[in-house]
Amino acid sequence: MTNHWIDFKNANVILVMGSNPAENHPISMKWIMRAKERGAKLLVVDPRFTKTATKADVYASLRSGTDIAFLGGMIKYILDNNLYFKEYVAKYTNATYLVNPDFKMPGELNGLFSGYDEKSRKYDKKTWSFQLDENGLPKQDPTLKDPNCVFQLLKKHYSRYTIDKVVDITGTDKNKLLEVYKAYASTGRPNMSGTELYAMGWTQHTVGTQNIRAMCIIQLLLGNIGIAGGGINAMRGESNVQGSTDYGLLFHILPAYLPVPNAALTDLSTYKEKTTPKSKDPKSVNWWSNRGKYITSYLKAIYGNKATKENDFGYAWLPKLDVGMNASWLNLFDKMLEGKFEGFFAWGQNPACSGANSNKTRKAMSKLKWMVNVNLFDNETGSFWRGPGLNPKDIQTEVFFLPCASSVEKEGSISNSGRWAQWRYKAVEPIGGTLPDGEMINELQKRVKSLYQKEGGKFPAPIINLAWDYEIPGGHGQFSKIDIHKVAKEINGYYLQDVYDKKTGKLIGKKGDLCTNFVTLQDDGSTSSGNWLYSGSYTLKDGKPVNMMARRKKGDPTGLGMFPEWSWCWPVNRRILYNRASVNPDGQPWNPKKTVIKWDPNKIDPATKKGTPGWVGDVPDGPAPPMSDEKNGKYPFIMKTDGKGSIYGPGLADGPFPEHYEALECPLQENILSKQRINPATKLFHDKGKGKDEDVFYSCDMRYPYVASTYRVTEHWQTGLMTRHLSWLLEMQPQQFVEVSMELAKEKDIKNGDKMIVKSARGQVNAIAIVTNRFKPFKVAGSTIHQVGLPWHFGWQFPEDGSGFDSANLLTPTIGDPNTMIPESKAFMVNIEKARG
Amino acid sequence: MSKMIRKASTFEIVNHWILAVSCIFLVVSGFAFLFHLEQLNTVFGSFITLKNLHNWVGVVFVVSLLATVSHYLPVALNLSSEDLVWLSKGGGYIVKNVKLPEQDIINSGQKLYYLAILGAGVLISISGFIIWIAPGSRTLVLISHLLHNLSFIVFVMAIPIHAYLASIANPGTFRIMVQGTVPLEWARKRHGKWVKRLGY
Amino acid sequence: MKRKALLISPELCIGCRACQVACKSWNQLDGTRTNNRGTFENPPDLTPALYNKIRFVEVPSEKDDMRWLFVSQRCMHCDDAGCMKICPSPGALYRTKEGAVVFDKDKCIGCKLCVAACPFDVPRYDKNDKISKCTLCADRIAENLEPLCAKTCPTGAIKFGDRDELIAEAQKAGYQKVYGQNDLGGLGALYAFKEPPKFYGMDDKPQIPDSVIFWHKVLKPLAVIGLGGAVAASLLHYAVVGPKKDKEENNDE
Repeated sequence: MTNHWIDFKNANVILVMGSNPAENHPISMKWIMRAKERGAKLLVVDPRFTKTATKADVYASLRSGTDIAFLGGMIKYILDNNLYFKEYVAKYTNATYLVNPDFKMPGELNGLFSGYDEKSRKYDKKTWSFQLDENGLPKQDPTLKDPNCVFQLLKKHYSRYTIDKVVDITGTDKNKLLEVYKAYASTGRPNMSGTELYAMGWTQHTVGTQNIRAMCIIQLLLGNIGIAGGGINAMRGESNVQGSTDYGLLFHILPAYLPVPNAALTDLSTYKEKTTPKSKDPKSVNWWSNRGKYITSYLKAIYGNKATKENDFGYAWLPKLDVGMNASWLNLFDKMLEGKFEGFFAWGQNPACSGANSNKTRKAMSKLKWMVNVNLFDNETGSFWRGPGLNPKDIQTEVFFLPCASSVEKEGSISNSGRWAQWRYKAVEPIGGTLPDGEMINELQKRVKSLYQKEGGKFPAPIINLAWDYEIPGGHGQFSKIDIHKVAKEINGYYLQDVYDKKTGKLIGKKGDLCTNFVTLQDDGSTSSGNWLYSGSYTLKDGKPVNMMARRKKGDPTGLGMFPEWSWCWPVNRRILYNRASVNPDGQPWNPKKTVIKWDPNKIDPATKKGTPGWVGDVPDGPAPPMSDEKNGKYPFIMKTDGKGSIYGPGLADGPFPEHYEALECPLQENILSKQRINPATKLFHDKGKGKDEDVFYSCDMRYPYVASTYRVTEHWQTGLMTRHLSWLLEMQPQQFVEVSMELAKEKDIKNGDKMIVKSARGQVNAIAIVTNRFKPFKVAGSTIHQVGLPWHFGWQFPEDGSGFDSANLLTPTIGDPNTMIPESKAFMVNIEKARG
Repeated sequence: MSKMIRKASTFEIVNHWILAVSCIFLVVSGFAFLFHLEQLNTVFGSFITLKNLHNWVGVVFVVSLLATVSHYLPVALNLSSEDLVWLSKGGGYIVKNVKLPEQDIINSGQKLYYLAILGAGVLISISGFIIWIAPGSRTLVLISHLLHNLSFIVFVMAIPIHAYLASIANPGTFRIMVQGTVPLEWARKRHGKWVKRLGY
Repeated sequence: MKRKALLISPELCIGCRACQVACKSWNQLDGTRTNNRGTFENPPDLTPALYNKIRFVEVPSEKDDMRWLFVSQRCMHCDDAGCMKICPSPGALYRTKEGAVVFDKDKCIGCKLCVAACPFDVPRYDKNDKISKCTLCADRIAENLEPLCAKTCPTGAIKFGDRDELIAEAQKAGYQKVYGQNDLGGLGALYAFKEPPKFYGMDDKPQIPDSVIFWHKVLKPLAVIGLGGAVAASLLHYAVVGPKKDKEENNDE
C-alpha cells in the first residue's frame, strides 16, 4: 500500500476492483463508509455482486480475467477526453521519455511486443529501452508530442481498446462501464483524489502484475499517487503479509527488498555493482543507490563479528540462486513431485489446501522423506498421507508435527497493509506445551549449529558463523526462551563503532547505540541492521531505547488520519509514500484541503524557535527542497532510478504496457483483441501434450464450459485451519459452496441447497449450490458465458465427518504470472453437476 | 330425631373435597400468576414450584372433575320445563315464600352450576394442557391462553356463590358434604322428586 | 437515567456478522452444527444460543441493481413489551433503568407464554426450559460499556447510545421515520430504513397480539371484579334476604 487504511476516508472516488473489502477486510469498510458519508463515490467492479457491491454507487460486472481490457478502455477514455492531470504527468512521470524507435507494440505485432522468442516464451527487452542523451539520461519531449514518447505510445497502444471492443471482452454493461470511467476519471482534477483497492482478485491471474500496472498508469495519469485519498492499495490477505514480504519471505528477496544474490554475483562488490541502480540526473534521489550500505549492514547483523571487511562481510556465506532460477511456490512443488527434495518445513501453512492444484501438492509431498508441519493444529498437510485417494501404506514420508503458539500467546510486531509495524503483547501463556515460532527456530539453529560444529559437513560456515544472541540467560528447562526485544533491536541496527559524518566530521552515533534510522547506515561495516526499512523502529530517545512500534498516541495534526505517533511506519514513519508528488514543483499542495506535506520557507524549528525553510506535515520523501529548486530540488519518486513515476515499465517480463490476454483456461477460442490468446511470457507447465499429467488444462472445452473463480468469506481464514475449528464461525459457514446464477441453475435444474460436484481438468470437489442473483451470465462476443464461484476455506480433515467437503484448490491450475508466479486461481474452467446421494 | 337418609356417598364426598381443594389452589395460584402475588413465595418458595404445582394439581382437578360425571351429569342433563320455572322464581332465594316445582337429588340451580363447572372445567383443563406443552403454533397458545382466562373467570365467580349457597345461605346443606346424610323432612322439602323416587 | 437504545442501519451493514460472533462470545453461547441451505444466512433462525442474527435478503430488480440486505434480528426491547405483559412469573422478565428488557433464568417458570406474546418472534427456550434472548448487554451497560455487537461493528451499522440522540442522529442523516420510534411505546432497537419495513422483512406496524391486549385490559380486571362481585353478592343476599329457613317453607305448604 502506498497509503493506509484510514486514508480511504480522504478519497473522493474509491474504485474497488480485484478485491472485496466488505467480505475480506471488514474493518476497511469503516473508512470507506466514512468517505461515502463525506460524499465520496464507491465504484465496485467484480464478476459477482459482492458484499462490497451492496454499498456501491456504481456496480459494474466483468468476466473474470478481463481487468486489463476494462482498465485499458479507461486509459483510452482518460486520454481521449483530456481528463489527465497534465502538469503531474509531464513533470512527475516518464510520459515525456523517448523510447527506442525499434520498439513495436501488440497492435503492430499481433498481440506481442517486439523481442519475443516463442521457444523460450521470453522477451528480449533490448528494443524496450529509452533513447539516451550524451549524459546517459533518457531523451525527453516535454510537449508529449514526439511519436516515440511514452505518452504517444500509450495513446497508440490503448487506441485499440475501444468501448465496444472492451464490453465485448468483459461482458460489462456499456452504460455501467462508462459510468465507472466517468466517475473515476473525474479524479484527474487537482482537488480530487481517487484510490484503488485491490487484492487477490488482481494478483491471481497470469496477467496479475499487469493488472496492477494498468491501474498504476491510470493513477499516474490522474495524479493520484502520493496524495491523501489516493494511491494504489493492496489489501493484504493476512494481517502480517506486509511484514512477511518486508522480511524477505519470498525466494527472490532478502529482508527489505534486497535481491537474493545469484551464482553470477560472486563477491560483494559484484553484487553491489550489478544490483545498485545508477542515475546521472542530479535531481534523482535514486534511493537504491544506497544498496551497498544496506547489504553490508544486513551482513553485519547476521554474521556479527565474523563478518569482516577482509572476508567480504561473509557475503560468500549467503545462499545463491542459480542464474535465472525461479524458486517460487509452483516450481518448488513441481520439483518436489519430481523427487528433488528430501525434506520440507511446512511452517504456518497448509499447502495441501492452499496450493493451486492441491492434488499435485498432496502427491508431491508423498515424494518427501520427511516433513515438519508447524501449525496450531494438525491439518490436511500434516495428515496428507491419510487423505482422500492416498493409501498410507504407499507413503514413506515421515511427518513431524510441532504445535506452535498462536499470535496471542507471544509478543512481537506485525506490519499491517499500511506498513504500520504495531507491537503486540502476549495475552496468555502458550497452552499445551506449545512454543512460539521464534523459540522453535532458536532451538533448531542451536542444534543444527552444534551438529555442524561437531561433525563438520559440506559448507558449515553459513551456519556456524551466524550471530545469534537472543536467548534469555538462565536455566529454562528443555527449551530456551528468547528475548524478542533483542531481535527487534537487531533489526533496527546498531552503531558498531563511533560513526562520524564523512563531510562534516560530526558524530552521528556512538558505538553500541541503536541506529537512529537507515539514513545513518554505513557500507564499511560500522553499522548493522537486519532490515534497513525498519531502521528507526526501535531507537534511542534521550539516551534510552524506545520501541517506536509500541507507541499509542492518538494525535492527528494534519486531520488526515495519519496518526504519526500511533505505532511506527516504514520508511522513517512516512504514512503516505511518494508524498512529494502531492505538491507542485514549488512544494505547494495540489489540493490545499488535503495537505499531506507542504514546503514552508519559514518553518519554525521547535528547538531554536527560528524560521528556516523546511517541510511540514507527513515525513517527506527526503528533506531536499521541492523539485523546482534549481540546485537541490529532487523528483518525487525517490525509489525509482530516474525519480519518475513509470507510465512505461520496461522492467517487467511481459511488456512495458499492460495488454489484455485471456486466462490460461478460458471460454473463448480466440482473444478478441489479438491473435495471442494467453500471456505469451508465462511459463507453461503443460503444453501441447507435453508435461506432467497433474498440470493438464483444457481451454474452450465442452467438458468444462463455465468460468470459475475462488475467493474467501468473512467467517473463514485462508484454508480455514484457525476458523473451521471454531464452532461460532463454522455454524455460519459450515460447508464448501458454489455460487450459481439463477439462469445457469434453471438451465441445469439446480435447486438452492443441492449438493453439487464441481469438476475441472485436475480435480473435483463437492459443494452446496447457492443459487443467486448475484451472479449474472455474461454476453461475450455474442455468446452467453456463465461464471461460478467457490471459497477455498474447506478441507477434508476437519470437520472430521468430512461435512465441510474438500478444498476448492483441487480445481485450480498450475500456472502463474510471469513476474511473480502467483497462481491463476481467479479464472479457470469447470463443469458443475448434481451429486448423487 | 327425624329419620336420616343418605344423599351423598363417601366417594362423592371425598371427591368433592378433592375437587374443591384443588380448584381453590388453582384459583389462588392463578391469581398469583395474573397479578404477580409474590407473597405466595413464603408458602411455596418460588414461582417455579408454584407453576409445577399448578400444572400437577390441574391434573388432579381434571381427574376429580371427570369422576363427578357419572353421578351428576345424567341428572344435570335431565332438564325440563320445571327447571325453567324453578329458575324463573330464583329458586326461592330472592323472593321468599314462592311455590317451587319439586326437585330431584339436585335442584335446577345445582344442575346449571354443575354444567357450568363441567364446561368451564373441561375448557380450562384442555387450554391449560395446551399451554403446558407449549406447541409451536403461536395462535393455538394465544387461543388457549384466552380460553383459560375466560373459564377462570367462570370459576372465580362460581366458587364463592356455591360456597355461600351450600353453607350459610342454606343451613343444613353443608352436612351433606360432611356426613352425607340429611334429615328426611329436610330432603322432602328440597328434593321432593328424589325422595319420592326413593319411596318415602 | 435516559433510555438507551441501539440504532441499526442496514444501509451501513456489510454482513460481516462480527456482531453475531461477538454476541456469542460475550454471552458464552455455544456454536451449533448447521448445514449450508443455499444461503450465506446461518443458523437459520434465532436459537437459545443465538441472540443476534443477521438476515440476508436478496432483492432482485429488473431495472436497477439488485439489493442484498443485511438486517439484524434480535430482541427489540419494546417499551410496551408483550413478553413482560404476559409473563406470569414476577421478576422473570424485567426492565433495567436504561430500558433493556432482561430475563432472570432463576425466576423463569418455562411457560413460554412470552413466545406467543412477542410481536417479533424473539424469545427462545434453552434445554432447561428457560428463556434466552438478547439482553442489550445489560450487564455491560451497567458497567458503562456499550453492548458488544455495537462495539464490534466496523461500520457503525449498530450504534448504541441515548435513545433520543440516536433518533435525532438518524433524522439528521435523512431518515424521516425511524422504525420503532413510536411503535409499541417505542422500541429499544431502532432501525434506520430507507425503504418500507416490509422490504427488510419487518412488519409495518408491529403489534402485541389482540388477544393479549384483550386479556390484559379486560379479562384481568374482570377476574378481580368477578370474584369480588360474587363474594359481595353473597354477602348482600345474606344481609338483605337472609338464609333459607325450613320454617318459612313450612308456611308455604
